[in-house]
Amino acid sequence: MFNVKDRESVIPGQLVGENVYCTENCLSEDDKVYSSIQGMVRVNGNRGTVIALSGAYTPKRDDVVIGLVVEVLECGWLVDINSPYMSVMMGEEATKNVMEDDLSRYYGIGDRISVKIIRVNEVYNFDLIRPRKLNDGFIINVNPKRIPRVVGKRRSMLEILRKKTGCNIVVGQNGRIWIKSDKPDNAELAVKAIKKIEREAQTSGLTNRIESMLDNEWRK
Amino acid sequence: MEEIKMAEKDMKLIVNGKRLDGRNFDELRKIKMEVNVLERTVGSAYVEWGNNKVLAGVHGPREFHPKFLRDPTKAILTCTYNMAAFSVEDRKRPGPDRRSVEISKVISDALSSVAVLEKYPNTGIDVFVEVLQADAGTRCVSIVAASLALANSGVPMKDLVSACASGKIDGEIVVDLMKEEDNYGECDLPVAISPRKGDVLLLQMDGNLTRDEYTKAYNMAVDGSKKIYEMQKKTLLDSMVNFVEGEQK
Amino acid sequence: MNIEEYLRKDYVTSLMREGRRIDNRKLDEFREIKIEKGYSSEKAPGSAFINLGDTKVLVGISMGVGEPYPDRPTSGVMTTNVELRPIASPLFESGPPREKAIEIARVVDRGIRESGAIDLDKLYIEEDKVWIAFIDVHVLDDGGNILDAAGIGAISALLDTRLPKYEDGVVIRGEWEGKLPITCTPVPVTNVKIGSNLVVDPNLDEEYARETQLTVTTTDVINAMQKSGIGVFSSEEVDEAIETSFKKAKEIREIIEG
Repeated sequence: MFNVKDRESVIPGQLVGENVYCTENCLSEDDKVYSSIQGMVRVNGNRGTVIALSGAYTPKRDDVVIGLVVEVLECGWLVDINSPYMSVMMGEEATKNVMEDDLSRYYGIGDRISVKIIRVNEVYNFDLIRPRKLNDGFIINVNPKRIPRVVGKRRSMLEILRKKTGCNIVVGQNGRIWIKSDKPDNAELAVKAIKKIEREAQTSGLTNRIESMLDNEWRK
Repeated sequence: MEEIKMAEKDMKLIVNGKRLDGRNFDELRKIKMEVNVLERTVGSAYVEWGNNKVLAGVHGPREFHPKFLRDPTKAILTCTYNMAAFSVEDRKRPGPDRRSVEISKVISDALSSVAVLEKYPNTGIDVFVEVLQADAGTRCVSIVAASLALANSGVPMKDLVSACASGKIDGEIVVDLMKEEDNYGECDLPVAISPRKGDVLLLQMDGNLTRDEYTKAYNMAVDGSKKIYEMQKKTLLDSMVNFVEGEQK
Repeated sequence: MNIEEYLRKDYVTSLMREGRRIDNRKLDEFREIKIEKGYSSEKAPGSAFINLGDTKVLVGISMGVGEPYPDRPTSGVMTTNVELRPIASPLFESGPPREKAIEIARVVDRGIRESGAIDLDKLYIEEDKVWIAFIDVHVLDDGGNILDAAGIGAISALLDTRLPKYEDGVVIRGEWEGKLPITCTPVPVTNVKIGSNLVVDPNLDEEYARETQLTVTTTDVINAMQKSGIGVFSSEEVDEAIETSFKKAKEIREIIEG
């Protein structure tokens, strides 16, 4: 039995339900399930989850994130991914001959890349593969927990953002979004729309509102 | 200085069954809470409690330094309590003193007892508490603000932390001492609990109480903490309105 | 290494090449300034909470009694201290003020001291006893340009300051004997150089992209200047910065005194 309704807000320590299946962001004690965070409950039959409102990004397998090269090592690059945990991307991602090649030829300090995370263990050691350099443009930081809404169901939101603003946009699951446009006004519009999505992440009908907001701004 | 204190010690703290500021024995001061007040922190809170004004903010989880002190099983939570020089009438010299180091430690201990630190191994979570105006009971205000800021930051917690002090003035047990009561009263008993289970997370006492008086004072502090919890809960739930229901037109 | 700096520096610089700022302000436009005087009035004789855009600074004034300097036995004393609290930025560390905090404190101090904003001669009490005005700047949220926020906060707090009552060698707390005598309103204006442009009131992103900066504190005259940071100005740029600083200080003074 759930103690809360679908879409209800909860705080840490609040009872979510008894004899229900709910693991994400929850704690179980005997038959009772409590939320461990401030967030919103989604209920589906006997299953539920608590959607986080905020919180640090922790690396997950198969996530594509935007990283910043902070050091060039002998065997690869140290990459910051907006998380308490850093990782080394192996030199093999860029060259076959790591020992003899000059790695800074490929990626130097301050370079921004999109990379995929693989092989994450319980203390958050992980590997980074398939780097792609992000030249020019700029990066904004968004609350990582709200990234799923910026992307949308089957990438619907992201497609709207790209189409209506004409910007080149890459979304990292770690809360970094890269935006590139020849026209500063378009980039600014994209930032405005993304900030709105971030603020109103769990409201219903968000996609439609963003779409009409972009259409309206366009007419100005 | 001592002479003044002795002279004022004769001051009556209870007149006609009411306290100096007109409160009943079991009445809290006026309290205002807010979360998400700072841009550079991941979570923040502001609490006004009587004449106390306290700001709390969280950085992290982030890389913990020095490396050899890292804990591969959990995050290390550190609270730093600091009073602004102008927060009290006689200017306080900036920088930590023995009192603020002790308060920092007991707040760190209380928060670490409820935070699910295992989620972020090898990292550090830093909670900063700034007392902008102090008027007795700052450790309780600080712990309430710090707990709100931590919840606001998204660090998982088994429960919130609520706190309230009680004490003895003119032989009567009362809740939530203000400045004069703290200075000239006979006892101060700050208590922090996790409201869901009622577990004690912080308990300090100085002064003198009989065994029975202690029980009465403790229960009064716990009742106060429960009122504080309701306010904390409302503050956090209200802060989520935009997130769930959209911006008000 | 400051990660945020690397993420946005180039973009700010490239926008600036077209004469644009990242938040769409004019080059000589300040962010919104909000001043709440008397914020800590229950305890501090004077105080002011400053919001400069999303930069937050709280300044408190404490009044103590102490000995004058031997060379000026009938003048009061002022001191300025700046605390860059770690709550204000993930880059600030706990501990005693370091060079950045000390530089800001000294620039704020010079503007107030050299303009004679506090009428120190009126702070004489009796032989070997004068008032000491402690200006404590508490930086709570660093959204850029904390120096100007600190300077605006310091003079706002001083204008708010009451003089405690002093009787028979004891300061009577909570009772007042008029206001602290203030003669003028010095205002610091920080100009940063990004590419070939000068802009005022840099936000955090612009601070990352700045080459160097010049702070000019003015009343009717120039009272204090400080070039800070590696990098150079031409003498024409310095002239331009001084002109802008006079103009902006006049506008800000109206907000402070208003």
